[in-house]
Amino acid sequence: MTALMDFFTVFMQPQLLLLVGLGTFAGVYVGAIPGLSVTMAVSILISFTFSWDVYPAISLMIGIYMGGVYGGSRTAILLNIPGAPSAIATALDGYPMAKRGEAGTAIGVTTVMSFIGGFVGIGVLALAAPLVSDFALKFQPRDYMLLAILGILLVGSLSQGSLVKGIFAGALGIAIGAVGRDPLTFAERFTFDFQLLEGGISFIAVMIGMFGVSEAFLQLHHVNKDAVHQKISRIVPSLVTVKKHLPLSLQTSTIGVIIGALPGTGGDIAALMAYDHAKRVTKNPERPFGDGAIEGLVAPETANNAAVGGAFIPMMTLGIPGDAVTAIMIGALFIHGLNPGPMLMIDQPGMFWFIVGCLVMANIFMLIFGLTGIKLFTRIVEMPRSILIPLIMLLSIVGAYAVNNSITDVYWMLGFGVFGYFMRHYGYPLGPVILGVILSRLLDDNWRRAIISEQEDLGRFFAGIFSSPLSLVLFVSVILIFVSQTPLWSYGKRVIFGRAKKT
Amino acid sequence: MEQIDPKNHDGTSDTTPGGEFDKRRPGELVFTVFLLIAGLALLKSAYGIENPFGPNGPSAPRAIPMAATLAMVISAAILVVKTIKLPLDRAETLARDILPINVVVFAFFLTAYGVLLVPLGFLPTSALFLIFGIKLLAKRNWRWTIGVSLTSLIVIWLIFRIVFSVLMPAGIVPEAEFIQFFRGLSGGGVNS
Repeated sequence: MTALMDFFTVFMQPQLLLLVGLGTFAGVYVGAIPGLSVTMAVSILISFTFSWDVYPAISLMIGIYMGGVYGGSRTAILLNIPGAPSAIATALDGYPMAKRGEAGTAIGVTTVMSFIGGFVGIGVLALAAPLVSDFALKFQPRDYMLLAILGILLVGSLSQGSLVKGIFAGALGIAIGAVGRDPLTFAERFTFDFQLLEGGISFIAVMIGMFGVSEAFLQLHHVNKDAVHQKISRIVPSLVTVKKHLPLSLQTSTIGVIIGALPGTGGDIAALMAYDHAKRVTKNPERPFGDGAIEGLVAPETANNAAVGGAFIPMMTLGIPGDAVTAIMIGALFIHGLNPGPMLMIDQPGMFWFIVGCLVMANIFMLIFGLTGIKLFTRIVEMPRSILIPLIMLLSIVGAYAVNNSITDVYWMLGFGVFGYFMRHYGYPLGPVILGVILSRLLDDNWRRAIISEQEDLGRFFAGIFSSPLSLVLFVSVILIFVSQTPLWSYGKRVIFGRAKKT
Repeated sequence: MEQIDPKNHDGTSDTTPGGEFDKRRPGELVFTVFLLIAGLALLKSAYGIENPFGPNGPSAPRAIPMAATLAMVISAAILVVKTIKLPLDRAETLARDILPINVVVFAFFLTAYGVLLVPLGFLPTSALFLIFGIKLLAKRNWRWTIGVSLTSLIVIWLIFRIVFSVLMPAGIVPEAEFIQFFRGLSGGGVNS
């Protein structure tokens, strides 16, 4: 009963409702404007909302997140530029549709399908999270440690680029997170005897630098690229179209939730897998895939929005983020004094149900804003980059300064901005860095708890891993990710598949 | 299936791997070697972390930092070896594709912004930054540039000062008195 009350909090308070609405609206546009990303928006927003109460701040950020995941599809369809990584698969069929002059239909289908996918994700979150958190109470410290490593490795290996670069990025993140005085023994770590470093590096400065400033620097390469004009006709899709694709959308939503719920995998991978699934199960598409098949839009869009709900499951119940955006959301919860993990569901179940309520509301707003305001949309997307880039940089500086009123944070942000810029150029993924920074503390604490409880004996530690099924599964997964990148793996694959071909 | 050219991905955020897979971009080797050296320096620093309460066993404060920096050193070393083997991409140049003059200028602008922010205050510093930044990128006349810059600055200031109540250094502009003046005006209007 109280859960229901908490769930409806957001519907009862006009102020919160307004914030979710505003957030979703902003999210749709942020996601849609090439050069602005959800990660960027949420990381800058954390610094501005941190003096707020928890509820309004969370409402706004959830709105932006939900809207942003959807908004990326708009530019994917209209310009063949995915506004967010999760919209890469959308461009494959969306852009060909737009080229045929069916941009309106494409946007309409995308919106309705995102809405359906979003609801499936939220539904699963509401049902599964309480169960998972009950289960998570049985987790040993070593399981948390392994989960954290698994999350960082998965983000590193599944995003584009090589796993070795991903490992470097993740390890760098863990090291950045360790800077400052060790909370257990008060020993100085990586401070180089500077007093400034004793409190550690503000993770918001790292985030804004990596996702805000470095992105803005990169956009400087594209200043003179013009926006493409597209005529958009009817948007609201017919009921027949929606009904026809409902079975597929439910299948791909399920894929989305599951992929989203795995630590380390998020909407982008879910969308690509769903696209692949749609290609396999659709026997007679009206048009071939890659040439403007509606199924090719339905699948990734349901999946990436379903993944939002899915991604909240490990985030809320284990405190382990699914991808860069959820890592930043965890940061936001930390800032507001909440500690995502199994205890959150016990100590503050209200918070969980409030977040579910916000997600539902954001999903509804997304449908409304998605099907309206197309004229305004085309004008905003055409905003010249020569104005946009300096503004993003200004906002990044204000954001980095505002959290601690410290000019040092601004310099950190600039430093990480320049560093992140080079990382992007040379193909290093940035997601693992943020995950590493966020998870560094959890990893450190749980490793030490685990090894102290085994009386500092590594042999007993590994015996513990092998005697618990859960730890063993996690441990084997970590090892598998490593092996999959070595020549041993391709050799093994050749042996197995080579035999399969012969028989 | 239509392949998306990664260079067109100027909207995607997480990774925008530039260049081609089998080629080394200009400056990549220097960057990788830098990562290796930085990793080694951090590893040395991690090794120097002492446990004030006991032996430096597996639960000591240096354990995770050492593991992380060791992972950095090993992966950076692998990357250096891999990068050396790749042929240099002759189609790209450092000055055009990696570090164009605009990026250098903006990095300088941002640093200057950081230096001036506290003594000069938020409003004048931001105005200068936006005017020069937009002028440099848009290459339009001064009137347009200053108009656009100041309008957007006022909008940003209103949003952050009033909606988010973010306090930025006032510097030489008597911001508080300014707001007080307007409060006084509106308050006076109600009273009379």
